[in-house]
Amino acid sequence: MSSELDELRSWVASKARDLPAEGLTDDLPLLEGRHLTSLHIPQLVLLLERLRKAPVDVEELNAGDFRDIATIGAKFLGTGPDLGHRRA
Amino acid sequence: MGSATAAAGTERRSGPGERSGPQQRLGPVGLRWNPRGYTALSGELLALAERCDAAFVLLGGGADTGERPRAEEYPALLAAEDLAPVGYLASFPHLATFAVSLAPDEDNLRRFAASVRQAPAGEVPPAAQAPVGEVLTPAACYHVYAGHRGEELAAPLTVTTRNTCFRREAHYAPLRRQWSFRMRELVRLGTREEVRHFLAVTRAALDRFLAELDLPAGWEAATDPFFDPAAHPQYLAQKLRPTKFEACYEGLAVASANLHEDHFGRAYGITRDGAPTTSGCVAFGVERWLYALTDRWGADPAGWPDVLAAAERSRPR
Repeated sequence: MSSELDELRSWVASKARDLPAEGLTDDLPLLEGRHLTSLHIPQLVLLLERLRKAPVDVEELNAGDFRDIATIGAKFLGTGPDLGHRRA
Repeated sequence: MGSATAAAGTERRSGPGERSGPQQRLGPVGLRWNPRGYTALSGELLALAERCDAAFVLLGGGADTGERPRAEEYPALLAAEDLAPVGYLASFPHLATFAVSLAPDEDNLRRFAASVRQAPAGEVPPAAQAPVGEVLTPAACYHVYAGHRGEELAAPLTVTTRNTCFRREAHYAPLRRQWSFRMRELVRLGTREEVRHFLAVTRAALDRFLAELDLPAGWEAATDPFFDPAAHPQYLAQKLRPTKFEACYEGLAVASANLHEDHFGRAYGITRDGAPTTSGCVAFGVERWLYALTDRWGADPAGWPDVLAAAERSRPR
């Protein structure tokens, strides 16, 4: 498991609100579930740029790119899905 | 977002081979276009506009549960302080039009009156201005949030309101893109589920209405036209999770459905079940419907469909 993905998880855990009883999972819909809001997005972009050591072109962002931790990891950090962190 | 609000404005510009413009086609039935960006309506075309406006109100979700939208009417002037909680002027400075008046001291007014007599007809010479405190309404629904500021809702609230709205644009085209235009809105404030249900039901009714009128239109995800969009968190949020959808007829957005989440509820302190209320709106640009209907059905009023009957058949049950 990548340390970048762990850092992403820690960051989301520190910002997310109203988490479900089972806690933060990699497939929890972050924006759709309002766990993160628009105000978090620029901070998340900066975090991703630091972790991937490359810029994120916000003009190229598409619907669903920040859906959940697994999607963000796969799209921006080059990580594959880690089923151990998904809900059963 | 909410600034999100209403019918933003996808519009395909006309090409050189386009049919004769709306002014030529529709002048005889009541269109008078001022190329500075606004129309005057009369006769059959005005009657069609009024029927469209009444039809839109019938499409509002809530009718399925017996709820009647509460009609609210607001002035075209909107206090800048009422827009401040959502930072409208910082997000959309390029769209704003202000209500400007002259500084009221007599010397200033005398100087102005003298200079305006000397100026070419129609030219307004420079003069000292009074402080600007009002914006001309950019979208009809802003008044609703400001008007219900601080309220605790015991039940979902559905409001319908219409206003003359103003947006500065780089170019204007009769009926399709105007500086001054009419906007009808259906707005719901409530829990997230209550608002999502309202948007789904209203969109479905609008789909039936479009089909009844044989207006081919599809829904497209859209973003609000933020100034410096890449720097704007809400623009990014709209790209990442679309909450604004426009019903487009041949590239022209004739209506938009917007989920604001708790953006306005938080900003204006409106609560439901002890939490900031969610809000959503469906907005209709009346002139754009005139364009679409006359483009589809022609300029002869005898060929126009009965929009009220179509709305009656389409309304939520």
